[in-house]
Amino acid sequence: MSANGYEEFEAVVVGCGPGGAAAAARLADHGVETLVLERGVEAGSKNVSGGLIYGEKSAPYTAEELFPGFREEAAERPVTETYIHNVAGDRVKSYDLTDIHEHDTAWCEAVLRRKMDSWLEKRVHERTSETGGGVLTDVRVNGLLRENGEIVGVTCDELDPIRAELIVAADGVNSELARDAGLMDWEEPEEWFQGVKAVVDVEPGEIEDRFALGEDEGLAHLFSGDLFEGVRGGGFLYTNESSLSIGTVFHLDSLVERRAEPHELLDALLTHPLLAQWLDADYDEREYAAKLVPDSKKVALKEPYADRLVVVGDAAGQMQAQGPIIKGMNHAVTAGALAADAFAVTRGNADPEAAGRRYATMLEESGTMSKLRPRRYELARTVGERDLVTRAVEGVLDSPVGRLALGNRLADRALERAYNSPYLVSMLPDTRTGYVTVPTIVGEQHGRPVTWENEVEPPELIDRIGDLTYDTDVGNPHIELLDESFEASGAAVYACPVSAEGFGGGCYRAETVRTNGGEETLVSLDTQPCVECGTCAVVADTDWEHPRGGKGVEYRQG
Amino acid sequence: MNCGRTRQVIEMDPGEHTVDELAEEIASIDDVETLESILDAERGGDDRKTAKEAIERRIEAVGEDEPTEDGTASADDVDGGEGSEGDANETDDDAGDADETDDDAGDADGGETSDGDTGEADEDDEDDGLSHPTRDKKHVRALQGGDYEDMWVFCETQAGELTDVSKEMLGKARELMDAYAEEYGDEEDVVAVVIGEDCAELAEETIAYGADVAVFHDDPRLSRFVHKPYTEIAAHMARGQGSLESTEWRAYDEPRYALFPATNNGRDLSALVQAELDSGLASDCSDLFIEDVEISNPVKTGEPGVKKVFERVLHMKRPDFSGFEYSTILCLDNPDRDFHPQGASVIPGTFEVPEPDPDREGLVVEHEMELEDWFGVEVLEHDQLDEGVDLTGHEVVVCLGRGIGDDPTLGMELGLELTDAFEDAAFGITRGIVTSSYQFDGHVEAYSKEERQIGETGQEVAPELYIAAGVSGAVQHKVGIDDSGTIVAINTDPDARIRDFSDYFIEGDLFEVLPALTEAVESGELPVEALADGGIDR
Ligand SMILES: Cc1cc2nc3c(=O)[nH]c(=O)nc-3n(C[C@H](O)[C@H](O)[C@H](O)COP(=O)(O)OP(=O)(O)OC[C@H]3O[C@@H](n4cnc5c(N)ncnc54)[C@H](O)[C@@H]3O)c2cc1C
Ligand SMILES: Cc1cc2nc3c(=O)[nH]c(=O)nc-3n(C[C@H](O)[C@H](O)[C@H](O)COP(=O)(O)OP(=O)(O)OC[C@H]3O[C@@H](n4cnc5c(N)ncnc54)[C@H](O)[C@@H]3O)c2cc1C
Ligand code: SF4
Repeated sequence: MSANGYEEFEAVVVGCGPGGAAAAARLADHGVETLVLERGVEAGSKNVSGGLIYGEKSAPYTAEELFPGFREEAAERPVTETYIHNVAGDRVKSYDLTDIHEHDTAWCEAVLRRKMDSWLEKRVHERTSETGGGVLTDVRVNGLLRENGEIVGVTCDELDPIRAELIVAADGVNSELARDAGLMDWEEPEEWFQGVKAVVDVEPGEIEDRFALGEDEGLAHLFSGDLFEGVRGGGFLYTNESSLSIGTVFHLDSLVERRAEPHELLDALLTHPLLAQWLDADYDEREYAAKLVPDSKKVALKEPYADRLVVVGDAAGQMQAQGPIIKGMNHAVTAGALAADAFAVTRGNADPEAAGRRYATMLEESGTMSKLRPRRYELARTVGERDLVTRAVEGVLDSPVGRLALGNRLADRALERAYNSPYLVSMLPDTRTGYVTVPTIVGEQHGRPVTWENEVEPPELIDRIGDLTYDTDVGNPHIELLDESFEASGAAVYACPVSAEGFGGGCYRAETVRTNGGEETLVSLDTQPCVECGTCAVVADTDWEHPRGGKGVEYRQG
Repeated sequence: MNCGRTRQVIEMDPGEHTVDELAEEIASIDDVETLESILDAERGGDDRKTAKEAIERRIEAVGEDEPTEDGTASADDVDGGEGSEGDANETDDDAGDADETDDDAGDADGGETSDGDTGEADEDDEDDGLSHPTRDKKHVRALQGGDYEDMWVFCETQAGELTDVSKEMLGKARELMDAYAEEYGDEEDVVAVVIGEDCAELAEETIAYGADVAVFHDDPRLSRFVHKPYTEIAAHMARGQGSLESTEWRAYDEPRYALFPATNNGRDLSALVQAELDSGLASDCSDLFIEDVEISNPVKTGEPGVKKVFERVLHMKRPDFSGFEYSTILCLDNPDRDFHPQGASVIPGTFEVPEPDPDREGLVVEHEMELEDWFGVEVLEHDQLDEGVDLTGHEVVVCLGRGIGDDPTLGMELGLELTDAFEDAAFGITRGIVTSSYQFDGHVEAYSKEERQIGETGQEVAPELYIAAGVSGAVQHKVGIDDSGTIVAINTDPDARIRDFSDYFIEGDLFEVLPALTEAVESGELPVEALADGGIDR
């Protein structure tokens, strides 16, 4: 307790995902008294990823180094083979991506977040307890505590304000702290992806049979092409111990522009003939989940700090989409650990921003920043992403000459090489060309027909919602719709992963209402089915917060 | 002697008088209580039959006199004020109003005021020279040709805040008076009235919501609504009584218009204040507008066969007693007697809460008045009742879902009619309705709230018969009705989920099926008991 009655710690870490866990563990290693606040009933109950966590050879930290036993106890299966499938109708051309997958990769594990994060939480609690802190769950931080305009701590729904010398915002995408500090806004759909995932149950032992794997082997399949209604993005399938993670990741602006329904895009993947080899009529979905994913190329903060606040992981936009490969968790781990180290070396410095500045320097020097914001991309983007250029390239590709060029044998080999080149992949501009047109033409020209009959009947949205666990904060909705006009907020009816046009049981619904005289389409909102993905914070006009501690959706898989 | 009552000290012992003397003596006493104490004294003393009869006769005479005295029965005036609107309207309106008016009058009668009034009026008319606590009270009775201005909004507060309905009324009043200024070229004010404890700030706040003037009365004893002092203060304010400083902003007799919230306390206050001001009241209104109107009723025009235009008349729309038709109520002056302020109480939620404008400027006036001994009722203890509606414990529950979307108000009306057709039924809704953006008309709006939600995050019900119309049957709804006896579903979609757990599934449009069901129930064609038992064959 400090003199003015506030609770006081040396460091407070908000969020116990990989970023927060790494920061807290490292802080404890340095002997810092550290309090970790997590809004879920348990760490992981709010979190979703694909999820492959990488141990990069070039990275200063990996989860296994920070938390010995991580791979063995917190993860599902290592990834030993990687493929990408270019789909054009029922023609598919697959390439082996194992080379790029292994580039700079010390290890890679498929994880489920409830299991992984709750395991991390226990380790973090053990370690932070030794230095006078610990982990508190069911606590939502709702803002920054300021004194004379300077950030000095955090305020919570459930606890009195807490002061600290270091505040680590590891609160993930849609970070309320980064927003409060003025570091992030949630305005531009181009800056985000939306990820949607189904965890599919498989009998123990079945994975090995269906995928021809040994006990300690696992697979990653990536999908692109025309199976997603022209929406920019792709799909994935990862093997867990006795389940599959199957999902999609799309550019949010593209979802909005195409008025696509995320759950239908997921269904398009689940029901594609290609997946018939791995799924059958006994399809049993354990969990449906979704979350926004920042695009580091656009939003990774160059100065991820303000006063005593440092921002790590998704909260700082440190989520790298390297073509079809997604790396967020590993960078969150690195950033969290570096932020802790920065505090350790600047401790006692009178300048409140010393730790933050040091942390930013360490991100640069460790090469992390150049992975998140590759200079090559910044250059390529200036030409590649312009509409005109896109259209011109599309035109050529679509012409017989273009098809011929991509279609010849030489191109085939060049393509496989191209996909496996980290340089080329990181340069692929975020346009239809890279995501849809090229893979589709590749599928068309090189693919072989896939005609297996897919018997999967994915559950309807109403059942997906029904199967989720909620602790509803009755009478206390966490999202407020500020503008109910369709122009302002209609995009959420489509883009919200638990809403759909014509579906009355979702969060967002378009309703034609008669007002004095005229007719008008309005949007209404029920936050009870909300999975807290963050999408509507960007695409609709809302006042958006997370629910109070322990309230809202609870993921069992993640 | 047992006559040391509060109202009058009795110096008279009936035993000292012969029966004849006694009769003469009591002929000048008009106070029933005094007479009763004399009667008691006689009973306790000589107990003469003839003496008792004489006193009883006098009591009877006094009692009969009372209501016929001029201005005593305030309820009559309410009737008079309100009855007049029927003139401008069709007859069925009349019926509706009359009913409602009686209600209001009944309220006023049943309350302590009418007693009080009766006494007071007596005293005003015939000074019996005795000491009455309120006899020095003077107020202007029914005016004729008075000056009226402004729209007064009586704001309700709760837990130190303006209630939403207060803000809604302020917003509406602003809108009405802006239009009024445009139409008639007279800038008149919206005047907010705030009564309570520590309410100066709330008075400030009413300016931001549209008031031009805010008059407040602050007193710790007014922390919660007590009808006597509240009524006295409100009427005092409206008549412009009080110190010079607190009243110099205005130059009229009484407000032109008055708005009250149709809440529990607001209903109380509106009836009392309007009666006190000798005007009428249109209660539970759901729309308001100001317009001229041409009237031919001789009661209003003064001459048969003559038409007269009444200007600036507040048209007060309210659902009639069935709830499904509207009456427009007008409060018009008679040739020899004014009915002002034209007063209405407004159903909460009818109008929008306006965006507050903190930069709006207005005048805040503290009202001054000696509060008399009006605090005879003291709240010693209070208990917050569980809010809302209890849907459990009924034989039948009718529940509506988003299937009403094509015409939400009509859908609600049909659902309510079916509910009414049963002897013991409750009316519920799905969460889908609670969270919709449907624009319900005022009279059904109240039925669209969370307090009627059935399901996991609402109420769980277990009636013998559950009727779900336009409900898809989501699992979170299902868990709230699982223990019901017989489940009947009406849905246009034969694949709707609810079919899986319905005993009877009627594939059809609820807008057609509900009225047919209502008719069947009312005519006794639908054997409810048999249905509830699940015992009829299909
Ligand atoms: C479908 C999908 C697929 C993905 N695939 C991959 C992949 O294959 N590989 C990969 O590396 N990454 C992947 N990602 C991205 C990855 O999940 C994130 O980058 C990563 O989780 C970021 O970690 P973090 O610690 O920064 O944030 P998070 O893991 O989001 O953790 C934030 C924590 O803070 C808590 N919190 C939030 N707000 C508050 C508050 N106000 N008060 C208290 N606690 C709070 C949350 O409950 C949570 O526990 C994927 C994401 C999605 C959605
Ligand atoms: C955590 C959580 C808690 C929840 N708690 C509750 C709860 O307590 N209570 C609750 O009700 N819901 C609850 N819900 C919401 C629930 O999932 C559904 O969204 C909701 O019940 C749907 O309401 P509905 O049936 O009115 O609308 P819809 O699902 O939109 O169904 C409307 C139905 O009307 C039919 N229809 C359309 N037109 C007509 C017509 N003209 N005539 C007849 N039928 C017509 C349609 O075929 C459709 O079946 C909860 C959800 C969550 C996630
Ligand atoms: S309501 Fe918003 S945050 Fe919740 S699931 Fe839908 S889009 Fe995501």
